[in-house]
Amino acid sequence: MMRQLAIFWVLLFCQMTAWAHKASDSYLVVDVKGSAITAQWDIALRDIDFALGLDRDGNAEITWGELRARQNDLAAWALSRFELTRNGTCLLQFTGLQVDEHTDGGYAVLHLKGVCPGSTGALGLEYRLLFDMDSLHRGLLRLTLDDATHTTVLSPTSGVLWFGTAQASRWEQFIQYLVEGIWHIWIGFDHILFLLSLLLPAVLVLQMRRWQGATSFGMAFREVLWVVTSFTAAHSITLSLSALGLVSLPSRLVETAIALSVVLAAANNLSPVVERRRWLVAFGFGLIHGFGFASVLAELGLPADAFVLSLLGFNVGVELGQMAIVAGFFPVAFLLRNTRFYLSGVFVLGSWLTMLVAMIWLLERAFDLNLFPA
Amino acid sequence: MNDATVIEKLPFRAGDSRARELDELRARARKAPVDAAVAAALAQAYFDTAQARGDPRYIGYADAVVSPFEQQMSADLLVIRGMLRQYRHHFDDALGDFAAAFAQDPERAGAHAWRGAIYLVVAQYEKARKECVALRELQRPVLQGGCNALVQAYTGQLSSAYATLQKTLALARYDDQRLWLLTRLGEVSAWLGQNARAERHYRDALALGRDDGYLLAAWADFLLDNKRPVEVVKLLAGWEASDPLLLRLTEAETLLQVPAAKAHVQALDDRFAAARLRGDTTHRAEEARFQLHLRKNAVLAVQLAAENYKVQKEPRDLRVLLEAALAARDPDAAKPARDWLQSTGFEDTRVRTLAAKTLQLTPAASKPVVKP
Repeated sequence: MMRQLAIFWVLLFCQMTAWAHKASDSYLVVDVKGSAITAQWDIALRDIDFALGLDRDGNAEITWGELRARQNDLAAWALSRFELTRNGTCLLQFTGLQVDEHTDGGYAVLHLKGVCPGSTGALGLEYRLLFDMDSLHRGLLRLTLDDATHTTVLSPTSGVLWFGTAQASRWEQFIQYLVEGIWHIWIGFDHILFLLSLLLPAVLVLQMRRWQGATSFGMAFREVLWVVTSFTAAHSITLSLSALGLVSLPSRLVETAIALSVVLAAANNLSPVVERRRWLVAFGFGLIHGFGFASVLAELGLPADAFVLSLLGFNVGVELGQMAIVAGFFPVAFLLRNTRFYLSGVFVLGSWLTMLVAMIWLLERAFDLNLFPA
Repeated sequence: MNDATVIEKLPFRAGDSRARELDELRARARKAPVDAAVAAALAQAYFDTAQARGDPRYIGYADAVVSPFEQQMSADLLVIRGMLRQYRHHFDDALGDFAAAFAQDPERAGAHAWRGAIYLVVAQYEKARKECVALRELQRPVLQGGCNALVQAYTGQLSSAYATLQKTLALARYDDQRLWLLTRLGEVSAWLGQNARAERHYRDALALGRDDGYLLAAWADFLLDNKRPVEVVKLLAGWEASDPLLLRLTEAETLLQVPAAKAHVQALDDRFAAARLRGDTTHRAEEARFQLHLRKNAVLAVQLAAENYKVQKEPRDLRVLLEAALAARDPDAAKPARDWLQSTGFEDTRVRTLAAKTLQLTPAASKPVVKP
């Protein structure tokens, strides 16, 4: 139990003592001329110690020797949390180490040098130092880009910032989130399997409790269109609501429900319950899948100044990724629809396998297990 | 510089008990990353460390421990997140977290105490009173006494507040409770104009022998109000690392024209600038006081004090606003403070005199606009 009284006083006196020390900041000065980068990055020694453990002898004093011994680790750690792009990822190198004093103590000064693939266009900057350990940490950036100076405070919600011509940077931001969207549907196997489970029977019709190939391309195509459109509409709705902070669900619940949706969709192929209105199923479960995308997007972070644009980009990306899958699947499935390979191989065996995999996910997620450790 | 040169001193040695405790909790959290109870213990330990050392880095550490659990907050985690949010003056969010905590666990006295304290800061005394009642129902007489006394003090019943604090003091069993109650008794006595009594309470609190930032600041303010800067310099020597205390020390040094004053003014200036650079606005009350007394920039001081008063409305926030408005010859700026005095009936004569004086001001001919 907490000490009963201390709680009540705390507020009253922490107003006073809250800032006896400063919160953590790093100072990042970046100079970009064309494709050439030089930078100086001052990181508090206390922060480096917290992340990497500098005080080898445990005497609460950091010496120059202790810092120097770890300079390669320091450089690797810092550079893995800072990224510049100009027509592609810029290559950054650690070139030298010094120390300096700021108002709140000693800092390591990292000198960096680098080259970018391009020498014109917008510059993208992503900063993630310490955010995983200290969410009040801030990066104080001064950037000189082809003689124009920008200053900004980098926080966990900054995402990727773009500097340079405003028009280009907005567009690039949109594209960047669009690519992220495509990427995340492609690596999101549960979403793909759900969609495929619904699409597998789209080229078939159920007659006398037996599946047969659909007779007309138009009919099959309309079925696919309905399913994909309603899935898309549904998850766009919940993704947007969730990104705007209007609705949120516990992630374990969402992940479990997604696994369940795949199990049910696959089971429905093997023993049809819903046959005609598959689009309704797609819509209903699509709402749940939207929450799944939202958690990915939350990890990625949306920049406050281009929130709507980036959200739209991500959404469009998800749709494009999805359409690519459908475009690859549908014509082949339609051609093969009357073969035994499709009817018993792809359709039946595929549905069984999908159901099995999804069952494992379901167990893992519902009971927080790790059945097949990576 | 050679390899043995010391370039930074850390807050703890590896063998210190607090360092060991934090290490142990961190190791447990690494082993069980999804265990809310372990995370809550670690975050609470970070928060306590932040309190004990006045070091906001530990607030950031605690926040980073709590945030992965956003979707499945236990009552413990909710209380901790509320504390972290109030620390950053996100009072509405904090109130929500505390409410959610006692929705999960109605016995949580701490959540009610916190809500009471926040309502006091934002001057919603009816709501604060309800939290005091909740504390009584949970049979926490000392917490309830502290809560009630402050509501009384802020709503024009200083004598009752004094009596409540004394009654509560008789119930208090721990030194930290006694320290807080004695400090508040000192403040209330000073507001009542009973300086000898105030001094006695402050000295009793100091005699408990615990370092407490709030007590030192309140006692230093009392000494400064009574033109006793020499004692402030003696009291606060060695406390330069704490900015609120450095502010009071520097005010005393400036009154005494001690050479150290200049360097300390510069140090404060640098620290305020650093906070501003990262967009931190939680120290505006102190910064207003700094601009008013040490930089003699009344116009900037009144802007800062007015901004602060929109968020925090305790007597010291009120006072710096009135003083700054008076110095800047800006009667309009003092209006929210006068309204507060009017509606609450707060009885401190010093503040009441200040408010009356702001009414007699004729506005300065032109109001220059200064940006921080």
